[in-house]
This record gives sequence, C-alpha cells and structure tokens, in this order.
Amino acid sequence: MRLPGQLVFGAVLSAVFLLAALVSLVWTPYGVEDLVISNKMKPPSGAHWLGTDHFGRDILSMLMVGARTSIAVAIVAVGIGMALGVPLGLAAAANRGSLLDEVIMRGNDLVFAFPSLVIAILITAVFGPSALNAILAIGIFNIPVFARVTRGGALSLWTLDYVLAARVAGKGRLRISVEHILTNIANLLIVQGTIQFSLGILAEAGLSYVGLGAQPPVPSWGRMLAESQTLISLAPHVAVFPGLAIVLTVLGLNLMGDGLRDLLDPRLRRAR
Amino acid sequence: MLSAEGLSLDIHGQSILRDVSFEVAPGEVFGLVGESGSGKSMTALCAMGLLPRGAVRRGAVRFGGEDLLGAGERRMCDLRGRQMGMIFQEPMTALNPVRTIGDQVAETLLVHGAAGRFEARDVARERLARVGLPEERFGLDRYPHELSGGQRQRVCIALAVALRPRLLIADEPTTALDVTTQAQILDLLRGLVDEEGMALWLITHDLAVVADMADHVAVMRHGRVVEAAATERLFRAGRHEYTQRLLRDSRHVPKRVAAVGPAPVLEVRGAVRDYPAKRLRLLGPRSMFRAVDGVSLDIRAGESVGLVGESGCGKSTLTRAILGLDPLQGGEVRLDGQPVHAGYLPGALRARMQVVFQDPYGSFNPRHRVGRLVAEPFHLVPVAVSGRRQRVAGALQAVGLEPADMDKFIHEFSGGQRQRIAIARAIVIRPKLVILDEAVSALDVSIRAQILDLLADMQQRFGLSYLFISHDLGVVRAITDRVLVMQAGRIVEQGETGRVFEAPQHGYTRQLIAAAPRIPQDWVG
Amino acid sequence: MVRFVLSRLLSLALSLAVASLVIFAVIEVIPGDTASFMLGLNAAPETVAALRAELGLEGGNVARYFAWVSGLVVGDFGTSYTYRVPVSELVTARLWVSLPLTLYALVLSTAIAIPVGVIAASRRGGVADFGIMGATQLGIAVPNFWFAMLLVLVFAINLRWFGAGGFAGWEYGVWGGIKALTLPAVALALPQASILARVMRSSLLEVLGQDYMRTARAKGLSQGQAVRAHGLRNALIPVMTILGLQFSFLLAGAIIIENVFFLPGLGRLIFQGITQRDLIVVESVVMLLVFAVITVTFVVDLAYAAIDPRLRRAK
Repeated sequence: MRLPGQLVFGAVLSAVFLLAALVSLVWTPYGVEDLVISNKMKPPSGAHWLGTDHFGRDILSMLMVGARTSIAVAIVAVGIGMALGVPLGLAAAANRGSLLDEVIMRGNDLVFAFPSLVIAILITAVFGPSALNAILAIGIFNIPVFARVTRGGALSLWTLDYVLAARVAGKGRLRISVEHILTNIANLLIVQGTIQFSLGILAEAGLSYVGLGAQPPVPSWGRMLAESQTLISLAPHVAVFPGLAIVLTVLGLNLMGDGLRDLLDPRLRRAR
Repeated sequence: MLSAEGLSLDIHGQSILRDVSFEVAPGEVFGLVGESGSGKSMTALCAMGLLPRGAVRRGAVRFGGEDLLGAGERRMCDLRGRQMGMIFQEPMTALNPVRTIGDQVAETLLVHGAAGRFEARDVARERLARVGLPEERFGLDRYPHELSGGQRQRVCIALAVALRPRLLIADEPTTALDVTTQAQILDLLRGLVDEEGMALWLITHDLAVVADMADHVAVMRHGRVVEAAATERLFRAGRHEYTQRLLRDSRHVPKRVAAVGPAPVLEVRGAVRDYPAKRLRLLGPRSMFRAVDGVSLDIRAGESVGLVGESGCGKSTLTRAILGLDPLQGGEVRLDGQPVHAGYLPGALRARMQVVFQDPYGSFNPRHRVGRLVAEPFHLVPVAVSGRRQRVAGALQAVGLEPADMDKFIHEFSGGQRQRIAIARAIVIRPKLVILDEAVSALDVSIRAQILDLLADMQQRFGLSYLFISHDLGVVRAITDRVLVMQAGRIVEQGETGRVFEAPQHGYTRQLIAAAPRIPQDWVG
Repeated sequence: MVRFVLSRLLSLALSLAVASLVIFAVIEVIPGDTASFMLGLNAAPETVAALRAELGLEGGNVARYFAWVSGLVVGDFGTSYTYRVPVSELVTARLWVSLPLTLYALVLSTAIAIPVGVIAASRRGGVADFGIMGATQLGIAVPNFWFAMLLVLVFAINLRWFGAGGFAGWEYGVWGGIKALTLPAVALALPQASILARVMRSSLLEVLGQDYMRTARAKGLSQGQAVRAHGLRNALIPVMTILGLQFSFLLAGAIIIENVFFLPGLGRLIFQGITQRDLIVVESVVMLLVFAVITVTFVVDLAYAAIDPRLRRAK
C-alpha cells in the first residue's frame, strides 16, 4: 500500500513534537527555571538556538517542556471525550428514538452551547486557574463531539443487514455494539481523535494565553506568547517561535488526520 | 436517427466499451440489454457526452447525421434536453430536493430559451399532466420528497420530454420501482413513443421488459454488443451462445422434488404489528400505523412458501416479527409449536430459524474473516470451538465454496459468492426454517439461476422449510410450493403456487400478474 | 412551517432554561456562600452579610434562582460588586465592541470562504485547488491570538497602517471604530474562513456527484449553469451548520482577541470579573454568551428549513 505524502509528512511533524516532549522529561538544553537576567532577549545563536526570553531563559528548552504540557492536556482531553462520548453515542444509536437517545442528544446540544472557553471561565471563576481547568474544559467540550460522531456512524451501521444477521444469531445490543459497530467505526474515531487532539492543542494555547490554563512556573506555549506580547517589537523571536511550534504541531496533526481519513475511507478502499 | 459505429471507450486507461455498433431508428423502441457491468449505461452516457473525467472515446456516434463525438460542449448542451432527453434508474435521487417539480420541468424550457417564465410554467403544467401528474392533485409547487418513487420518475420523464425531443434515453427506468408502478411507467413511455413520434432507447437488465417494449434489441456483454436483431427474432432464434444462456437463465426453474411433511414448522396466527406514525400536531396524540394486520400462515416441514407483495405491503415487518426481532401487538408466532416472543427467545429455539438477506454487500461485517462470519449463529447453540471450524468448512463446501475460503475477508468475493456465504451462515446450525428475504433480487440472471439451484439442493439435503419473500413473481413461481399474496398488511390470497398464478382469485393478485412483464410463451417455445 | 418554528422555539426555551440552571449551580451553589467567596477568607461576618444583602443573595437556592432568572428576562442582571453599577450597564457598553467584532469577523470569514471554496471545488485537482487547500490547511493551524500579534507587528508597528490596539468608541466616528476593529476581525476571521472554505469545497464536491446534477446536465444545462442552479443551494446546507458553530467560536475567539488589542469588550470585563472575584459579572456575561450561542443555533435551524423544504415538516 502506498502511503500518501501528507500522511507521512504530518506523522513526521507530529512525531518531532512528541519526541521533543518526551526528551524534555529527561533532558533539556538549559533548565527552564534558570533565570539569567543579563542574558535576556538574546536572538538565536549557537548557544541558544532559538534565543532567550525576557528572563534570559532558553526558548528551545521552554518549548520542549511546553510541548509536554500541550500534548498532555490535549491527550487527556481527547481521552475524556472518547471515554464518555463513545459509549454515550453507541447507547444512543443502539436505542434509536428511545427516551435514552433523546436525553443523550439533548444533553449533547446543551454542552455544545458552552464553548470550552466558557466552561474554563466558569470553572476558573469558582476554583481558580490551573492546567486541570484546561483539561476539564476541553475534555467536556469533546464529549458531545465524540458522542455525535459515534452515533452518526453507528446509526448507519445499525441499518445494515449484518447487524440484523447478528440479532438473528441471538446477540444483544451491547454485544453487537462492541463486536460489529465499534470495530467498524474505529476508523472514524481515530480520525476524529486526531482532529480533536489538534483542536485541543489550539484550545490549550488559547486558555493559557488568557491565564485560564497552566500556571507559572509550568511552561506552556500559550503563556509564553502572552508574556512575549509586550516585547514583540523589541524581540520578535520571543513571540514567533512559540507560535510556530503551535502551528507546526497542529498542522502535522491535521495533515495526519486527513491522510488517515483518505487511507481509511471505505469509499476509497472498498474493492467490489 | 442515432447510430454508434465502432464506438470504444476507455476510462483512465481501462477499457469499458469495445467496438460497439447499433442503430436506433426514428420512432422505434430500441432495447439494450445486458447484465451489470456490461457497459450499457456507459454507452448511453457516451452518446449524451456526460462521461466521467478521464474518458477517451473512439469511433463515432451519429445523431441525425451529426457526429456527436466531434461536437463541442456548447453544441451538446443545445442537443441535450432539446433533441435528446434522458432519465435514470434512481428516481429518489434524480431530482433536486430543494426545488419544486414545476420549476425543474420548466427549467428545461428556460435553459434552451424555448419559452418565457410564464409560458414555461404553462408547458410544465401541461407536460406534468401528460405524464399523469395533473395540477389538481400534484401542484407545481410540490417538492420531490412529497412524491413517491413512481411519481418522481414521472417528473423525470416530464422534464426529459418537455421540449419533445426526438430521442429519449431511459436507463433502467423501472428497476427501482414496484411491478405495478413499473407497468404504468412503461405504459407511459410507450404512449409517448406512439403519440409524439419519439424514439426510445431503453436500457435494462430485464429481458421480459425488452420483450414487452422493444422493436429492436441489442445484447451487450463485457463492453461489446454480442448480438442485435428485431426483438421477436432475437428471442425466437438468437444465435449467440450468450443470448441463449441469458434467456435460459432468466426463465430458470430449479429441479425440486416436493417432500413436504405433515407437521407445521411455523404457525402464525392473527399477527398484528403497529408502528407509531408521525404526529400530526405538535404534542398531539400519536396515531398508529398498522403494518401487519391479522396475518395467519403455516409452513410445513420441507415446504417452500412464497410471500409476494409490493414495497410497503408489510412483508419485511412480518419477517422481523417472525424472526422474533420486533414484538407483535396481537396474535402469535409459533416455531415447532413453541411460542416466539421478541426479547426473550431461547437460543435453542432461535437456532431453528435463520435468514438470508438481499444485499450481498451489506450482509457481512467487513472486518471479520469468512470463518467467523459463518460461525456467528453458533452463538445460539453450544458447540465446541474445534467442532465449529469443521462445521463451517462443511457448510462452505455445501454451498460450493472451499474450506480455505474461511480465512479470507468478504471483500475478496463476488456478489454471487457472497450470497453463497450468506446461505452457508444460515444453514451452518441446521435450522428448520430459512427465511429468504429477497435473497436473489440483487443478482444478475445467470448468478440468480445458480443460487436458485443451490437453494433447491440445500432444501432437499437438509430438509429445510423456506419462506421465500420476493417482489419478483417469476422467481417465486420457480421455487415455491405455495404462495401468499400480501397487500397493505393483509394476506389477500393464498394457495398452491401453480393454481394462484394460473387462476388468481383476488383482484390484486390478478393486477400483479398482469403487471409483470412476460416473454411471450410462443417466442421461447 | 408554523409547527416547525414552534417546536424549535420550544427547544430553544428548554435549552435556555437548562443552561441557566447549570450556570446558576456552578456560580452560586457550588462555592457555598457566594458573598463570603467573593470577599475572601478574612472578611468580617458583618461585611459578608452586608454584601449578601446588597447583591440580593439572601434566601434559598430555588428562590434566588427564580429571582435571578426573572431579573434576566427584564434586563436586570444585578449589581457589580467591584464597579458598583448595574451589570446590565457594564454589559451593554462592552457588547457594543464584542458583538460588532464578532459579526465583522463572521461576514469577513463568509465572504472569503464561500468563493474560495467554490473555486477550489470547480478546479478540483488543479493548481488553484492545491494552493487553496495548502493555504487553508495552514490557516486552520494558526492560533488566532498569535496571528493577531503578528498582524500588530506588521501592520501596526512596522507599517503603521492601523493602531496597535485600543478602541475610542463609536461616538468618535463609525469609520474610526471599524478601523480599530479591522485587525482583530481579520485575525479572528482567517482561521475560521479556512475551515469554512474547506467545508464549502467538500460539500460542493459531494453535491457535484449527486444524481440530480446528472439530470440537470441531461436537460441541457452546462456544468456552470448546473452548479449555479442546483449545486450551490444544496451545498450550502452543511455549510450552514458550520456557520452556526463558527459564531460561537468567533464569540469565544473575540474574548481572547480583545486581550491582544486591548479592546474594552466582554472579554476584558469577564477576566476582570474573574480576578476580582466579581461572580455576578461572570455569571451574567457567561449567561449572555450561552444565550447568544443557543439563539444562533435556533436561527440556523430556521435557515435550514428555509433552504431545505424536507425539514419544514420534520418532527
């Protein structure tokens, strides 16, 4: 099978950032809490590949640790969305038109009315800001997304004869949902998972930027941008590199998602 | 008037048509028959210049002396709709859902500058009335979704003939329709040919439709025309081996030895099934729609019973109730004397009936191997895993496949082979009753003949009873001992198959039989 | 049609009711006593009691909820603890920045995306399509607030075409107001336009493959005529959904973007509310945002029915 170029490119790009995040667990070029005020706002050089910020911290090191924050928040948020959304979607589809279906779908609509920023605002107003807020806010927003995708995919499968054949073979809704439905919408969920992952990274950056996400001293891309904002005319690189990191990660994930979609699309794959 | 000379077509380098030649004379009905994938639709799209991207045509298609392959797109736009109209197989999707039917018919006139806005509406009104949709009952401002399939096909015809073209191309125009609707649409087309002197190029897989309608016939196979002749001559004295086989297969009657035992396997008594209908008013009471209305039937051991009826008559609903998938609101279903209740049907009882569906593509989970697919009914009966594999292999062999096929995925098989696998899945736990729900309806005639033979063979070998559900009267006649005719949720007639077909008692049965196109007896000897 | 509108209205009212319950529960029930939460740990009991009386926070949860909701209905949002003015005044002033900004961005995004999507679809596989798909892929990946910072760097600091931020107010001239909102609107619109253009493209491509397009061609319409007469309206149906969702993204985005440009909008108000623990302000603004999103969903539903006759008699 020939892999499409965008899938490979996207996967490589995503892998670079994942690797950077993993490496940062054991090693970074400089410590992210080493403040060397005399060395502040230095442009990129041999010693500091991406330069230093207004406290003289090494930007590359901060980006690596920031990647960890972004990826961790986004992964957990996707996990929350999938863990709750997929079973809800499966249950709604298996009981189409029932009260359960109606309640799940109305609940979904309701959560959709709260953009993740609004959820974050609500949580922060009461509990104070933290990275956990970002995870919860993005995760809650992901639940209806996955529930909807799951239900939509599952509904079209429930009309197929092989599901009917399984019922004739005496299998119950739960067993059919797992054995026949889930296995056949896995592609859909993988693709949606990639998309939500990249959206999660964007959302985390936004929340951190306005101070509703990760708090100092945990480095995060969004907060690096917030801190660089007033310095942008003096030292543009302080603002440019964190932004580029976000763009490239999200781009990589999106390309990977699109590539996966093309690769897994049954309409393209089905050989008659 | 229209002729193809040595027409060849490649799409993305793949050869679709090779050296196709035929002629359509003015005012005649020309039938183009062939099995799926023979290239008959592509031939029509070639003439209309509506081919997909990457198509390369060679040879010539002449229309009134003009070479269509050489004509520019502007000229083709001018010809389409004005000189040559076309209708397609699927009326449910052939109309724009967001525009009214009057609009869509009038558009044909407007786009050719043949009339002003008001005049076009008048013509649309007249043409819709001509195709059987008078304005009193079907206003011009109706939307397609408010019409049935047959009515939508009439709209398609109206917009295709709005400018009285010299040629109408009809690509499987009745394949998606019920038999009585089909008869009406064919009647309508015949009338348009007779009254307006229009030529009709009818593309179909159904030999009986061609026998009924066409003056001339060409038979296509693998992108070639294998034989062409006047209709009667082709049927009486078709020379080509493929033509003869097609004729034979279309009338194929499998050899069966009646071995009907006395004991009833299935008893249905006064079955009633209601569906909640759409609410008429917000928060108003839900009205119920009675899909199955007091149906009683018996199937004895080894017996093959046919159930015929048009779409929406309740036969699928009845099937689901018999299978214990949906609850009944009245009456009862007994299998081997034990009651079938939806919801809590013991596995041992459920194992006595299995089902084969119509769609050979949607009947299997594409992620499982054939071995697992066929073994699915073992869920119902305790069989050791080691024994299962052996029995699956046996079932595959019984339906004419290899045990090695167990390790393949379903997409590696053709439609006919898939239907064999579906039968293997149904018989692997040796049920007593197999419900065949339109099980051969999606198959080409040659494959259909083979599957009918297989079904007859299975019945004899395993002593099965069949409930054979179909809209196709010919097939039901070929394979059943007794037949039930269903209309609007009720069984209106039942009896021995031969008797019902020869001497139908109920008006609806007579109507169904009269509507089914037939190849005249004396043509085929 | 009337039935359809009524059933949508019912669901609108229901959504608003449940949403208000959720917001009330989070802000006024979970923290325990709102007044002491707002004043912090060291507040004297008398001060807390005074504030409670001032904010109308006395009484049981149920009574307070109904008092709050009936206030909302008549436009009484309560009094801000920090500003000492009615919240409705604060909100109205801020709305005059946030709402125009959101709408400006929405118009910009739609005006860019739809033609671009149509061009990409009709030149499928060509250079233009390839370029558009690449650009939109990049556009989706760019965080709008970072894009805003770059815009400031280029157009305000270097080129000096626009101010770097701030908003004088509409009373100093409409043109000045529009100019002040232009960079923020562009920053908000471009990422969303990228998404919308891709949706438009794929939706139109899907429609181009439909049977009724073939019917239209068989009547004698050219490809271009068929797309205009039959393709666009059908292709817009899925675009509508995205447009509705975009409104809520743009509104949320506006709250963030206001920070970059120092715009006195709802975003600034709500973040000040959070830092000063002015829960009444937070509660009101959140309710307003959710109200806007739910109402837009309702409008999109109606627009659906206007475009697609099949929905007019649905449930």
